[in-house]
Amino acid sequence: MKKIYLDIAATTPVDPKVATLMSQVMTQTFGNPSSIHKFGQESHSVIERARLQLATALSCEPGEIIFTGGGSESNNLVLQGILNSGDHIITSAYEHPAILNVIEALQTKGVESTLVNPNKDGVIDCLDVINAIQPNTKLISIMTVNNELGTINPIAKLGEISVENNILFHTDAVQMFGKLPMDLSEIHINFMSMSAHKLYGPKGVGALYIRQGNKLPAILHGGGQENDLRPGTENIPGIAGFGLAAELATENLPTNIENILELEKRFLNALTENSIEFTRHCTSHIPGLMNISFHDVLSKPLLMNLDMEGVAISAGSACASGTLKASKVLLQMGVSEKLASESVRISLGKLHTKDDVDSAIQKIIELITRLKITAEINA
Amino acid sequence: MPKKKVLVAMSGGVDSSVALSLLIDEGYECIGVTMKLWENKDPISNVVRNSNCNTVEAINGAKMVCDRLGVHHYTLDFMDIFKKNVVDDFSKEYLTGRTPNPCVRCNSIVKWDTLLQQADIFGIDYISTGHYARVQHEDNASYLLKGADELKDQSYMLWQINPEALKRTLLPLGEITKSETRDYAKARGLETAKTPESMDLCFVSGDDYSKFLNEIMPEKMTSVTAGNIMDEAGEVVGEHTGFTNYTIGQRKGIGVAFPEPRYVKRINPMDNSIVIARKDAMYADHCYASQLNWFVEPPIEEMATFAQIRYNSKGSNATIVREDDNYRIDFNEPQLAVTPGQSIVFYEGNKLIGGGIIEVNS
Repeated sequence: MKKIYLDIAATTPVDPKVATLMSQVMTQTFGNPSSIHKFGQESHSVIERARLQLATALSCEPGEIIFTGGGSESNNLVLQGILNSGDHIITSAYEHPAILNVIEALQTKGVESTLVNPNKDGVIDCLDVINAIQPNTKLISIMTVNNELGTINPIAKLGEISVENNILFHTDAVQMFGKLPMDLSEIHINFMSMSAHKLYGPKGVGALYIRQGNKLPAILHGGGQENDLRPGTENIPGIAGFGLAAELATENLPTNIENILELEKRFLNALTENSIEFTRHCTSHIPGLMNISFHDVLSKPLLMNLDMEGVAISAGSACASGTLKASKVLLQMGVSEKLASESVRISLGKLHTKDDVDSAIQKIIELITRLKITAEINA
Repeated sequence: MPKKKVLVAMSGGVDSSVALSLLIDEGYECIGVTMKLWENKDPISNVVRNSNCNTVEAINGAKMVCDRLGVHHYTLDFMDIFKKNVVDDFSKEYLTGRTPNPCVRCNSIVKWDTLLQQADIFGIDYISTGHYARVQHEDNASYLLKGADELKDQSYMLWQINPEALKRTLLPLGEITKSETRDYAKARGLETAKTPESMDLCFVSGDDYSKFLNEIMPEKMTSVTAGNIMDEAGEVVGEHTGFTNYTIGQRKGIGVAFPEPRYVKRINPMDNSIVIARKDAMYADHCYASQLNWFVEPPIEEMATFAQIRYNSKGSNATIVREDDNYRIDFNEPQLAVTPGQSIVFYEGNKLIGGGIIEVNS
């Protein structure tokens, strides 16, 4: 049975070119980047080359990029570094736990927060953010793209709002980077979090964009690596892989987007042609991410049954133990409890083919038909 | 012919791991599930504490074994069903002075009925667990038999399973002993080979029932206060600390001193007293049973059987006497500390033919 992975938004497979480079670096470039000798110099160059690749991809300066252990770490560096007792942060209610749980922890240290709900289109409304501004608002942190819905937030506008109000602006761009163009020379962002494994790079590597002139204190202390913000000998193969992944994603972005949109259309058309009743949530989103409620089919049994048939999708947000609840995000948008418990996330990427989509669709249709019959019998 | 499919309940212990592996050896297509039943939360801080029940370690153990054996694994959240059917009943029974057997209810309602519904959703034929008991499938009925390992036999805990559900049950450990299970797990390199035996109730940490009851229903427990300890003649001989702290047959920790040991004979929530007695007064030659479940035709008038009144007790030949809707069980040998709320299970040789909940009166 061929397995079909339709959960690109959760993580991506490593691009074969990236894997080759990483394996090369791991076996051949082992020097400590801090060492003076040639071994060290080689490793050092690998890191700096990767930094340049990211800077090129984002139209920023290499000096504005630091490598971290992942998106969550980047978020923590910003939130823990900026917010002190008495400060206020505006964020969205549907941020990743790597934002929401940091804020919850900071609240015990006297940090105040306002959580803005997404509107019915799954987007954060700028007016809601403006209305939440207080005299002590120090930071606005709104994700670029929501991980469950794929909706795109008005980042440029939020950047302007933050400048006008003299507030710092952070965006968690983990779900956007590599899937949409991003030009940091055009828009005002103070801090931006990224992760390698969402764009066909390795896990355990992330990056943080820190706009020139902005400073962050370290939250871990040690050797002076990554501008004092990320102590510890660098993850050289991981960083090299991230660099190449970022380059590949940017280079081929228009082609990838076109292909993915084509597959997405094929997928949705097939559902309609087969008279499958469904609701696709949110009108605007990144290519390939579909949040769909199949009417009268609970998400959990659909997900598990599909998995047994070799098709991997996701639903709600999986917690560490892997149990599922109705999508909180959809409930925040005002979607009914019923539809929210029927919602699944299907995400397509650059490695998928028409055949993948066709076989997945066939399995999905078979299962929806069977599950509806079982539900009727049990009822 | 496509392989028959089995949904295997995986606790994360060695028994269910080996059950899964044996079923795969026999050619079944298996899916492993771990049922999330309970979270031991601190009532004040709401912080989740360690408990014996589906810890992260246990779930990880189940996942590792499934992965090693190449089968899918899912964690299913049955916490609401478990709370409603098992924990609430447990608390209610204690408040009425009885000693419930939550594992029996959990098996029939959660591990069998609910799991079978799940199997239907998956389009799966059978369910399986790591219990030490055998299922004998015949043309029109299925029977529970005692496990091959006499010391470990768990059929007593399974009497309440719906006979229809039993038809779709496979218990691969029924034929082997616990030590064979361990050896098998070790030989196959299953990650759960050395998991410790679970002894206590999964949802009560440290086996501290009083603490648990106070946490789960603090309001109701305020009415459980100190009261009289009486002898059988009705003389007050001491003070108890709250009747939920005692079980029938308990000897230690009663808090009264007599030259000859005294046992808790009765718990009377109505007048908040407990009655103690000498050992020789603790025997009963009969009891009644409610909530009966039969795997054979129930007796019309009388039926000879072998009755067991607790897990790991010796049991006795007995006669089940039906009086209209009441079932009275007359023991050939009087039984010690017959405890209302516990299970009485009927056997015919190795075959479990039925069971019920012990009642003192009809």
